[in-house]
Amino acid sequence: MVLQSSFKSCLPLSCLLRAPRAGFGGAASGGLIIQSVSNDVYQNLAVEDWIHDHMNLENRQVLFLWRNSPAVVIGRHQNPWQECDLHLMRQKNIKLARRRSGGGTVYHDLGNINLTFFTTRKKYERMENLKLVVKALKALRPQLDIHVTDRYDILLDGHYKISGTAAKLGRTTAYHHCTLLCNADKYVLSSVLKSPYKGLKSNATPSVPASVKNLFEEDPSLTCEMLLDAIAEEYATQHQIDHHITLINPNDETVLPGISDKSKELQTWDWVYGKTPKFSVSTCFNMVYKDSVLDVKVDMDVKHGRIEACDIDLPQQWLPPALCSELVKSLTGSKFCPNETTALSSTLLRTCPQDYELHSKWNLLCENMTMLM
Amino acid sequence: MAWLALRRLGPALAPRCPRLSPQVPALRRLGTGSLLLSARKFTDKHEWISVENGIGTVGISNFAQEALGDVVYCSLPEIGTKLNKNDEFGALESVKAASELYSPLTGEVTDVNAALADNPGLVNKSCYQDGWLIKMTVEKPAELDELMSEDAYEKYIKSIED
Repeated sequence: MVLQSSFKSCLPLSCLLRAPRAGFGGAASGGLIIQSVSNDVYQNLAVEDWIHDHMNLENRQVLFLWRNSPAVVIGRHQNPWQECDLHLMRQKNIKLARRRSGGGTVYHDLGNINLTFFTTRKKYERMENLKLVVKALKALRPQLDIHVTDRYDILLDGHYKISGTAAKLGRTTAYHHCTLLCNADKYVLSSVLKSPYKGLKSNATPSVPASVKNLFEEDPSLTCEMLLDAIAEEYATQHQIDHHITLINPNDETVLPGISDKSKELQTWDWVYGKTPKFSVSTCFNMVYKDSVLDVKVDMDVKHGRIEACDIDLPQQWLPPALCSELVKSLTGSKFCPNETTALSSTLLRTCPQDYELHSKWNLLCENMTMLM
Repeated sequence: MAWLALRRLGPALAPRCPRLSPQVPALRRLGTGSLLLSARKFTDKHEWISVENGIGTVGISNFAQEALGDVVYCSLPEIGTKLNKNDEFGALESVKAASELYSPLTGEVTDVNAALADNPGLVNKSCYQDGWLIKMTVEKPAELDELMSEDAYEKYIKSIED
C-alpha cells in the first residue's frame, strides 16, 4: 500500500525536509519515508544526490525507496569494461550508471528494490539499517531464513545473497543504500555482470561475485509492494513516525530544484565512463580476411576514459603504414568509445583513395577496434 | 563505526595560547602561521596537513583511517588543481564506503602520492608518513591558524567518541 502525501502538492519537499516540524500530520521530527514514482536509474540516483546535497538531516532521517528498469550500476571507482558486458547491454538496451558510493557492480530491474538510508555522518549505521530490513521481512514471513553478514550482505538460506550494500560519507550527511532481490531476471543478471574482456589491467575496485537468489523463489506469494510496505512500517516504528510514504517525482523541479542538472550529469559520458580509474589494455584479436587469419595486437593506456597511448600491431603491409599511423594518431586523445572510434575512422577513410580492398580491410580493423570498447 | 562526528570544536577545546605578560619578551612564541612550521595540524573532517618550506603535505588522521577500515582505492586530484579551503579534492574508498576528502587550506596541488595507485593500503599502514595523499601550496597562511593542533585534535576526537 502506497499513500500519497497530502502535502506533496502544496509544499515543496525541500521545505518539508528543511523544517523538521513543518507538517506530516503533526508527526514529530525523526523520519521521513519517500518513494520515487520514476523507474529511471539516473533520475533516482539524482534524488539521492539531491537529498545528500540539500537536506538538513540533523533532526530527521530519510528512507528513500526506489526501483529501476533494467540497468547495471557500478561503484564509484569501478571500471565498466572490467565489470560488465557492455556490448550485450547495448544490444538489450540496458543502461549503465555509475553511482557515487563505493562497492561493487549490481544489476537492477523492477524485480529489485533499492533502499537508501540517509542520516548525518554521525548517525550512519549500516548494520542497524540491515537489521531493520531483516526484521521487516521476518515480520512478513517469519519462516524466512535470512541474516546479515559482516560484509553487510543479507543472505538467504545461509548461502544466497539477496542484498548488497554500499555507502557514501559526505561533509555532513551520509547515506547507505542496499538492494533487495525479489524477482529480478537472474538470467540477464548473470549474463550482463560478466565481462568478456581479456587483457585489461586496472587498479579499479573489483566486485566480489556471489551466488544470488530471489526472495520470491522462496515464497512466491510475496510482492514488491508488500516488501516495501513492510520495510516502511518497520522504519516508521523504529523512528516513531507515521507509517506514511510520500511519493516524489524526480522530474519535478518545483519539488526538487536543480534535480534535472544532477540527473543530466549522471548520464554524461564523462561521469559514467570518464570516471574510470586509469587502466591499460593489452590484448590480441583475430581477423579473418579472404580466407586468411590475421593476428592483431593492441596496447592502449586509458586515462579519464580517453586513450592516452595506443599501439596497433598489424602484419606488415596489410594496410598502408601511413594510414595505420594516422589511425593511431587520431585515436590518441580520443574517447575509449565505439561511436567516437567509428566516427574518426570513417573520417580518416574519406581522405583515402576509393579502393574497395582498402576500404573493406579498414572497416574490418575498425570494427574489431570498437569491439574492445 | 566512528568516523562520523562533525560536531564543531567547542571553545573549550580551542588551541590554548599561554598568556604572555607584556614585560616578558615573546621569545618562545612560535607563529602558527609560519611557513617553516612542520607540526601537523588537523581539520574537523580528520585531514592533517604539515607545512614545510611553503608546501603542505596532506593526509588523513589515524582516527580516520581506523574508522574507514581497509582503503581499497584512492581518488586524488590532478597536479595543478586549485583548491579552496574545504573543497572536495577526492575520495577514499574503503570496504563499502566512499568517503569524500576536503582540502584543509587554499592552494594548488603540487604533487600526489603515486604509490597509492598500486598500494592504497598505505593510508592504513602509514597514514602520517608513506600514506600521505597530496602536497599543496599554502596560499593563505592565516588559514593554518584555524586548524587544530595535535593536542586539540586529540581532545576533539574524545569529545566526539562519547
